[in-house]
Amino acid sequence: MRNLFNGAKAPADLFVIRPATVLFFILFLGWCGPLLGQEVGAVSVRTLKAAEDQSPFVMAGFTEKDVPARYAAGKPVAENTGAVPEKPDVKAAPGGASDDEYGDVTPEELGIGPKAGKTSDEYGDVVSDTGEGLEAKETYDPIRPFNTAMYHFNDKVYYWAWKPVSTGYKYVVPHEVRGIILNFYENLKAPMRIINNLLQGDMEHAGTEFASLLINLTLGVGGLKNCAQDCFGIQRDYADFGQTLGKWGFGYGFYVVLPFLGPSDVRDGIGLLFDWPLRPTSYLGDEFFNEYNVGLYIHEKINYTSFHLGEYEALQNASADPYVAMREIYLQYRDNLIRKR
Amino acid sequence: MLKRLCAGLMVLIVVLAPMYLVAGPATDSVKANVTAVIDVLKDPKLKGPAGKKAKEQKIEVIADRMFDYVELSKRTLGLNWNKFTVDQRKEFVELFKGMLRDTYIDRITAYSNEQVNFTKELPLTENSVEVQTVVISSSARTPINYRAMKKGNEWKVYDVVIEGVSLVSNYRTQFRDILGNNPPQTLIDTLRKKKAGSK
Repeated sequence: MRNLFNGAKAPADLFVIRPATVLFFILFLGWCGPLLGQEVGAVSVRTLKAAEDQSPFVMAGFTEKDVPARYAAGKPVAENTGAVPEKPDVKAAPGGASDDEYGDVTPEELGIGPKAGKTSDEYGDVVSDTGEGLEAKETYDPIRPFNTAMYHFNDKVYYWAWKPVSTGYKYVVPHEVRGIILNFYENLKAPMRIINNLLQGDMEHAGTEFASLLINLTLGVGGLKNCAQDCFGIQRDYADFGQTLGKWGFGYGFYVVLPFLGPSDVRDGIGLLFDWPLRPTSYLGDEFFNEYNVGLYIHEKINYTSFHLGEYEALQNASADPYVAMREIYLQYRDNLIRKR
Repeated sequence: MLKRLCAGLMVLIVVLAPMYLVAGPATDSVKANVTAVIDVLKDPKLKGPAGKKAKEQKIEVIADRMFDYVELSKRTLGLNWNKFTVDQRKEFVELFKGMLRDTYIDRITAYSNEQVNFTKELPLTENSVEVQTVVISSSARTPINYRAMKKGNEWKVYDVVIEGVSLVSNYRTQFRDILGNNPPQTLIDTLRKKKAGSK
């Protein structure tokens, strides 16, 4: 402060203060930014969702009173709008007959409430595809035979190599150490996140990432500790080049299962290649892909997997078709990263 | 100066924050159920493998109260629901519920130290809302949103959106794939086989 007021005295003095001011400003941005961002973000997401989530029912102008009965075929609701069930269910048509049948099952099973009459409609026909509209996008999977083959290949790789190695690793390396390694690798990827946030025109998130990096390099002992989050509550803001391309308006092309790397798509596959040089580890050795940087990448993934063992198995158990489940989850997750951030 | 500005902004944010945290009855309902699950998970009497079974049973009771499996099934099947006979619909609901229960209860009982923040309630339609939460563990923050609709006097959850991935939407594609070339019975058989295989 003193220097600022004694301006006449010293351009040199001013010069001294500048980097510190800049640093403070960055820290300030990092500190207040996320808080501000949340509030601002809240408004925009809300408006976005409110606009997109208009369900067919609201648009059709149903009143609240119509809604409970809307799934039952042949109810006034359907007639009002002229929306006829696409495939009228012949077998279920004598719905009255099954009323008593439902009477026993539903109220106790589902605790719907006292209105027995309403519960009888529970298993009635639906009037339309009752999606939220948000996720109901067309899936492009033209190279499905290749993808399916790769899916089975990766599945074998997981069960025969990846899982045993990660399990052994988890057993040998203590939890705390794995946590430190996780932080270290994540911190190393800060350039990737900063540059992609910048490319997306997201100065605020680039700022928080930069603040995170500075804090973790200093107070976090060179990135061993995620002090930005633990000490200051600054959240990382993930960004990669596939996401950047998405924000620029590129579609995902089509779904691709990469050998070893797993689910991806055309856009994110290209993104992976662009992000590789943004990882400092890529500069180990003479070539972009060599035993050092690829080795470190594998170690990073094993370390990561050691925290997530059992998730792939759970996904498989919870799916009627694990291949399709994985594809949908991947595409929706990526879409969410692009649209909602 | 900057510090003061920062402090001022924070005060402003604290003052404004409640405007965005309008918790409605749906949030209260979801919150009550989620809190109940967390209480079960943290119950010291149910620690260890011996308590696992009891834990699972208690969580299942809460889940039955929380979810509307019929609504969930309808939304998952979409118009394909109409191709099922009433008996098939009932069996489907039971099998689907069983599959979700077996998987998720097993995953949930693995947790103990998570904290759940209820961030926002977002209106979707006249009688449905999205209750947004963030599950905070030592290593990650996972946004989990519950979509609930009003049934009588209660709010029932019919979809769960984890990190932008909707449960209903995910299963809808899987089932549509199967039902595209096969009769409803094939899907029911697939789920049955799944159930037999997991036991």
